[in-house]
Amino acid sequence: MPLLRLTSGTFGSLRTFATSSALGKRVKTFAVYRWNPDEPDKKPYTQNFEVDLDDCAPMVLDALLKIKNEMDPTLTFRRSCREGVCGSCAMNIDGINTLACISHIDQNLNKPSKIYPLPHMYVVKDLVPDLTNFYRQYQSIEPWLQRDKEAVKGKETQLLQDVEDRVKLDGLYECVLCACCSTSCPSYWWNGDKYLGPAVLMQAYRWIIDSRDDATAKRLESLKDTYSVYRCHTIMNCTRTCPKGLNPGRAIAQIKTLLSGMVKKQSPIMDPAGLEKQAVQN
Amino acid sequence: MAFSMMLRRPVCSGPIMQQVMRLATQPAVKPNLTQNTIQSLKSTLLKTETTPIMNSVRSFRTSAVRFAEGKSGDHSKLWVVERVASAALLPLIPLALIAPSKILDSALAIIMVAHSFWGLEAIAVDYVRASIFGPVIPKIAIGLVYLVSIATLGGLFYIITHDVGLANSIRQFWSIKAGQKA
Repeated sequence: MPLLRLTSGTFGSLRTFATSSALGKRVKTFAVYRWNPDEPDKKPYTQNFEVDLDDCAPMVLDALLKIKNEMDPTLTFRRSCREGVCGSCAMNIDGINTLACISHIDQNLNKPSKIYPLPHMYVVKDLVPDLTNFYRQYQSIEPWLQRDKEAVKGKETQLLQDVEDRVKLDGLYECVLCACCSTSCPSYWWNGDKYLGPAVLMQAYRWIIDSRDDATAKRLESLKDTYSVYRCHTIMNCTRTCPKGLNPGRAIAQIKTLLSGMVKKQSPIMDPAGLEKQAVQN
Repeated sequence: MAFSMMLRRPVCSGPIMQQVMRLATQPAVKPNLTQNTIQSLKSTLLKTETTPIMNSVRSFRTSAVRFAEGKSGDHSKLWVVERVASAALLPLIPLALIAPSKILDSALAIIMVAHSFWGLEAIAVDYVRASIFGPVIPKIAIGLVYLVSIATLGGLFYIITHDVGLANSIRQFWSIKAGQKA
């Protein structure tokens, strides 16, 4: 043993020697879900790729890019910002919905990393899920500011909002709509056609409590049926899985209390149309 | 030599080429035509009932029709009742066991059955859904939930009116044990 240490040099190289495969590298296996729409007869399968971790940046997305660049250019996945602000690379990594760009590669070389598309979604190709329904649901909650008196074009004035009212939007507006939470929700798996899902409901809540928004009653009215909100059974997978650390489960609970009528939306601290009224007076 | 010269010459800058280019791009630049294309694009992107991508391979509906189906009824008041019932069970169960009486027993029976009914109903609605089981089986499942709940309530009230009552029946578990030991 001491002889070996002498010949092999530093401790570090000895360590790599001990933990690596025959190649003398830190090789990690990635089991990646594959399905090609051009071969509809072929069933989905997982393909193993071996990546040398010493020659790869630390994130799962880096490994996927390395596989795509060096091993198999047909591997298909979405990615854009590579820093967790766009939500494109949402996928199921080792059983957890997360963003590939901000999740570290598991350093345990004995176990392959399993990479699947977001669960219970139609797959377009490989790791690309079809988000049409998700986006359409987002569209259905009308995610924009609605005023009783829409501003006249060319005469728009800034809407006022108190700092305290603005704080209420923190933890809601940061959502990047990666769909990790919605696709981790069993209720969304079973009733995704009618239940809106945590991501969309959190955005619904974001517009409901915005002090500048006047459409609160209309927004709540459209949510009070049996399916849109009430399929949430507070399983809380959404909050556990959110790669941005947000809490959609809490937002849904808040919607339920607002729907019950026991809690009312607070009136804005600052009149949103204050500047407009001032301009009329002057 | 001549060939490479031809390659290097900026082909697109010649006057003839420019004329050709103008002709080629003209129709597309016309304002009304662009508007039409945008309009048709909009309609395909916003109103299609099937996914715009890969229609050749598989199409599935994510349409407003399916969306709206079953979106009836106001669940918000029922939600409050459900919460109140769950909260009421917390003090009611120990209270009914400490002081057995027909009134507390009846209240316990009704609220317990209601609580479990809503739970079972949610399970039926979540898992036995029309998109998988067709139009008939989900209704049967809901019917079964009603049947089980009514039967349970009937049974519990039979014990309350014709027997020792709910709380006393539960208390008997301990009395059996005590009797065996003695």
